Amino acid sequence: MDSFLVGLKALFDTLGSTVMLPIIIFVFALVLGTKPGKAFRSAVIIGVAFIGINLIIGLMWGSIDGVAKAMVANAGIERDIIDVGWPAAAAIAFGTDVGLWVIPVALLVNIVLLALRLTKTLNVDVWNFWHFAFAGSLVYAATGNLTLGIASAAVAAALMLFFADWTAPAVQDFYNLPGISIPHGTSTAYVALAIPINLLLDRIPGLKDLDADPDAIERRFGPTFGDPMVMGLIIGIILGLIGYFGEFASAGFIATFGKILLLGVNLAAVMVLLPRMVSILMEGLIPISEAAREFMQKRASGREVYIGLDSAILIGHPAVISASLVLVPIAILLSIILPGNRMLLFADLAIFPFVIALTGPVTKGNVVRMIIIGTLIIIVGFYLGNAMAPAMTDAAANAGFAFPEGASQISSVGDGFIWIPWAFMVLGGGLGWIGVILFTVVMAVFWYFYKKNTAAWEAAAGGPAAGD
Amino acid sequence: MAKTVIVSCGTAIATSTVAAKAIEEACKAAGIDVVTKQCKAAEIKNFVDGADLIVTTSQVRFDPGIPVINGLAFLTGIGKDKVIEEIIATLKG
Repeated sequence: MDSFLVGLKALFDTLGSTVMLPIIIFVFALVLGTKPGKAFRSAVIIGVAFIGINLIIGLMWGSIDGVAKAMVANAGIERDIIDVGWPAAAAIAFGTDVGLWVIPVALLVNIVLLALRLTKTLNVDVWNFWHFAFAGSLVYAATGNLTLGIASAAVAAALMLFFADWTAPAVQDFYNLPGISIPHGTSTAYVALAIPINLLLDRIPGLKDLDADPDAIERRFGPTFGDPMVMGLIIGIILGLIGYFGEFASAGFIATFGKILLLGVNLAAVMVLLPRMVSILMEGLIPISEAAREFMQKRASGREVYIGLDSAILIGHPAVISASLVLVPIAILLSIILPGNRMLLFADLAIFPFVIALTGPVTKGNVVRMIIIGTLIIIVGFYLGNAMAPAMTDAAANAGFAFPEGASQISSVGDGFIWIPWAFMVLGGGLGWIGVILFTVVMAVFWYFYKKNTAAWEAAAGGPAAGD
Repeated sequence: MAKTVIVSCGTAIATSTVAAKAIEEACKAAGIDVVTKQCKAAEIKNFVDGADLIVTTSQVRFDPGIPVINGLAFLTGIGKDKVIEEIIATLKG
């Protein structure tokens, strides 16, 4: 098995993910029964998307790297880990050697666990398999062991089915989505943290009954903090002012002012264009994900299953939108004041609805509590993001995203702020097979307790309690 | 004149792309000239002018003055044909 993988890996490394991923997708689409013409077109468009994402990352890089260095030189602010955002993280994850295997591997894990009746979730959200690939890619980047990386991705896929099952009644009740579960890495990871914090907040007088009006927050914060393009412009101008302030005297007012405004427009462009490029990648994955869905549904027919979907379907909820809007300025402030932090928050400012979506059911939609829990998640996340940056930068190189020599490192909120890939990196990357087995055993223990006490676990996550 | 369909989800990236491509295919097959515009759920208000229909995979919380159809079926695959029929019937109006 290993020599086969090593041989394939040599071929992949020569061709690069821009060529390899389309070939893999083409073959895999044919295997799942997609028509050749359709499979071919979606394969090519995935290659196109990779080229587009690389172009935009280049633009982001050229803009931010310069100002980050100027900030160190002129203001003594060291922020040399750049937040490239979850769209880039997803492309990196799919583009690594682990990412090439993640779709068949995660489907297989799902089929086996469904057959064993260990899970109720049928995860048809093939796009979000990137979260599993991301965890596996970090292990692979740390160890150079591809089999171990793929095994880690498989365990991550299983963990997500467990989290999806556990939170399903809460999602179905709170968001009124019968039959749906959310096997999404960014959203499910911190439910386990939200539950105890929510219980603690129940005991604090004054805070206990505090809530806020989502509509008022949205009116006040929405036009600025809810629009990534405007945020890109503002952040660019602020960074430019910090980094290039000294040049007003040396290089002249007009030249410096122009440079700062150009940085603002460049970063606004990144905010608009990067998601468009990822949407092209998504378009290429549609035939695969539809074929995979039909393939899986045929095998699960006649069973009570939850359909596992992207947490994007939850994001319209007013409490989630308004709490995330408030988290944007909080996160920017934290990136400046947190001691030891080197990460410059930028591309992932629009991800907070995903991070807190599943705290909605836990807090019964209390906006203030979602903001408090979200803030704690972000604080923890910054340190995880800093810790994962070297491995994530290596993974990006493996995926063929070229960063200039001696350049800064990269990170992102999704999934750089998430403990799951971090735990894989520490355990799998540090201890190898023993670490991944340890992770699996711990997961199995929690899974066992969930299965024994299903009703209590599901009520704790915000699901309807017995008698409700 | 081409009909405009707003397709919204949480990010305007992932799930709305799935719905938009499915709508484009179905309308083409039915001989309807259609343009889809993807946006985030929170942005629908900015896109409503001149549009004929909203298909959303998340929630619409105000009255946009044009028909709204839930597009969750494009993601689950369950009841997809029925939703497509509904969309085509609405667009043919």
